Amino acid sequence: MNANKKKWIWPAIGAILLLIYPLVITLPFPRHLMIMIFLYATLGLAWNMIGGYAGQISLGHAVYFGTGAYTSTLLLMKLGVSPWAGMLAGGILSIGLAFIIGYPCFKLAGHYFAIATIAIGEIAQHWMLNWDWAGAAVGLTLPILPESLINLEFHTTKVPYYYIAFGIFALSIMVTYWIDRSKLGYYFKAIKGDLLAARSLGIDVARYKFYALALSAFFTSICGSFYAQYILFIDPDSVFPLMLSIIVCLVATLGGVGTVWGPVIGAFILIPISEFTRIQFGGGGKGTDLIIYGFLIMVISIYQPFGVIGITKRFRKKESE
Amino acid sequence: MALLEVQQLSKRFGGLVANDRIDLQVNEGEIVGLIGPNGAGKTTLFNCIAGFYPPSEGTVRFKGENITGFPANEICLLGIARTFQIVRIFKDMTVLENVMVGAFNRTNLAARAKTKALEVLDFCGLAPKKSMLAGGLTIADKKRLEFAKALATEPTLLMLDEAMAGLNPAETVEAIELVRKVRESGITLLLVEHVMEVVMPISNRVVVLDYGKKIAEDVPEKVINNEEVIKAYLGEKYHASRRAH
Amino acid sequence: MFTSEIILQTMISGLLMGCIYALVAVGLCLIWGLMEIVNFAHGEMLMLGMFTAFWMFTLYHIDPMISLPLCLVLLFLIGVATYFIVIKKILKAPFLAQILATFGLGIFLRYLAQFMWTPDYRMIKNPALAGRLGFGGIFVGVPELTASIITILSFVLLYWFINKTEVGTALLATSEDREGASLMGVNTDKMFALGWGIGAACLGVAGALMSNFYYIFPEVGFPFALIAYVAVALGGFGSIPGSFIAGIIIGLVEFLGGLLIAPAFKYTFVFIIYLLVVFIRPQGLWGRY
Repeated sequence: MNANKKKWIWPAIGAILLLIYPLVITLPFPRHLMIMIFLYATLGLAWNMIGGYAGQISLGHAVYFGTGAYTSTLLLMKLGVSPWAGMLAGGILSIGLAFIIGYPCFKLAGHYFAIATIAIGEIAQHWMLNWDWAGAAVGLTLPILPESLINLEFHTTKVPYYYIAFGIFALSIMVTYWIDRSKLGYYFKAIKGDLLAARSLGIDVARYKFYALALSAFFTSICGSFYAQYILFIDPDSVFPLMLSIIVCLVATLGGVGTVWGPVIGAFILIPISEFTRIQFGGGGKGTDLIIYGFLIMVISIYQPFGVIGITKRFRKKESE
Repeated sequence: MALLEVQQLSKRFGGLVANDRIDLQVNEGEIVGLIGPNGAGKTTLFNCIAGFYPPSEGTVRFKGENITGFPANEICLLGIARTFQIVRIFKDMTVLENVMVGAFNRTNLAARAKTKALEVLDFCGLAPKKSMLAGGLTIADKKRLEFAKALATEPTLLMLDEAMAGLNPAETVEAIELVRKVRESGITLLLVEHVMEVVMPISNRVVVLDYGKKIAEDVPEKVINNEEVIKAYLGEKYHASRRAH
Repeated sequence: MFTSEIILQTMISGLLMGCIYALVAVGLCLIWGLMEIVNFAHGEMLMLGMFTAFWMFTLYHIDPMISLPLCLVLLFLIGVATYFIVIKKILKAPFLAQILATFGLGIFLRYLAQFMWTPDYRMIKNPALAGRLGFGGIFVGVPELTASIITILSFVLLYWFINKTEVGTALLATSEDREGASLMGVNTDKMFALGWGIGAACLGVAGALMSNFYYIFPEVGFPFALIAYVAVALGGFGSIPGSFIAGIIIGLVEFLGGLLIAPAFKYTFVFIIYLLVVFIRPQGLWGRY
């Protein structure tokens, strides 16, 4: 009992610190930074569900982010639907998309799925660039509504955004933790570990791969909807790009796939660095940071596929020996 | 009614006939051994029964129900579990977690799966190693884990594919004991085996395959002395030289 | 509306472009079939081939057709280098690592190119191959036609090499049964490196040929890589002729689809093909899945 309680001390302390953070730090940039960290951590955790636990590598996860962003925004702009309902609708649509992408590919080896995800990611961005009703390349500017929780828009301060983002982040941690200890998690890990063995133990592999992708798509989509409400402008290049898929993948891998805290660590390391390098090297879309991301992904895959958590586990093993 | 009934099962891979019109029956409570020289088609037959690929012809009936061509996971749900010749354990999970995956076949609750898994680990003698990473086990323990995983799915029929290969004599004795314990707990067994010293003592019946066909089926003592069987294993010359005496 | 002439013209253009797709696909298929590793940097290597031809022309006034052998050799070396520096280390790595390693490489190369050479679209002006030929109302660009002829020749050469030479047979053996081949004395390490070299060399050839008539920019490789994945799936995993033919088919479908339905959705059709193949006939048309 004592050991279990001990496990929760550090996350609890972390949670308390994060909760009082915006009350202590009042400058907008650090708050924005933390919101971005929460966002990417959630995205990383979501990717982790299908990529880290179930071992199916999605290289086009941005498509769910974009679906969430556009669904809630379009529902808001064309039908006046509350962004919260829009968020839910986007999530459901994303699950549907996951089904279409995944179902044909799940019966096959992992490469086919990865390829399908890349293709869909590109095609989706392409479609959105050409779809006039949804803003095409110009994008959509969200209507400025009175500041309120129902409208999910706040103009004078970032604090409510902060807490909502924190809420989403905390929820995704809890869901990941639940997956980790439940039948879902065990089956995901079994599928990742050895497909044939998993089948022989009664696992309907295609079905569970779909569950993983559906969960992943849902959370990614929610982040997209949040992003739209936060930035108040979306276009295909900001919510569907390859870059997003890459960062999400990197966040999860850097920290440690298949674990609860890996993507969180990954986000806390990567996002501050990326925000600072963006300031240093200027925006400009030159993609300089992507050179580093690409290189990092290579290096991690070759030398430490289990990420930061993999390194700490090795240290702990050495200590106990 | 037999527990498992295989009728006229054939399996072809392109031009190669791996199984040729095989009939096989396993009754409840039995231990049936399936033997034959390398390439006789034993593992192919296994895979057809267990749902890894459908047979080209013939039927498989389990508890009276036709399960021919059912996918592997459904067959496990129905009560047939199998082990693999080359163990397929989940090496990045602990021993306990490995067995829990099997236990989840019959429950959705992690707590119940854990209880069942601990029971099975105890039964198989792996309890002290439950927190070890599966990848770090010895070969003998890996085989035991492979066995435990399958057992945890609560099968009615357990099919073992060369579970004794590569074990030293002491380990083999332990393995035989384990198989006996399993039968005593009410599970029927179908063993593919290469090691004669293992199959003969424990099987009620032995089925012999050669070049994809069934060439003999009888109690172990009679199979040992069966002319066709000896010819299959040791070749024509030996057979001829025996007859000469 | 769509006269039979326009349709025929489109089909021919599609077939010609399809030959390029075919060569790109063959390179991918070789590597994939050899060691079950998908080169997710395939498109970027093609891009490097194209840029090599471009810079040879722009800086040293060497025509792409003359720098073709250079592109071939350079990409061959890049392929071999990739094997030794990256791939060899992930042969036994978890699946995630295998996919991400080449994916990371692709991203790295793409954005490095963008950094060094800007995202601008480049074009080789006045290459040696220029102009169009007319055959009774149907027009074919000389560069495109030459490109198809050379790709077909390359394919024939490659096919001969793999099936009729000793080294080629060793390569085939390694792809079918790694352990068996090594027991027979084949140096698997060298075979893998060779496979990567040849696979990349195909891209060198395709890149040089394309630089005659196609825009050159850092992101150019991606659509070609995507089509290559689909072609390998359609043609059948492990079948090099299959990939080649599939590439041509896809070229045809892409162009016809773009004409008959809408140009913006060209790739969607290609992807639909992919989904259909994966769903209905996973082993592709000729595969050994």
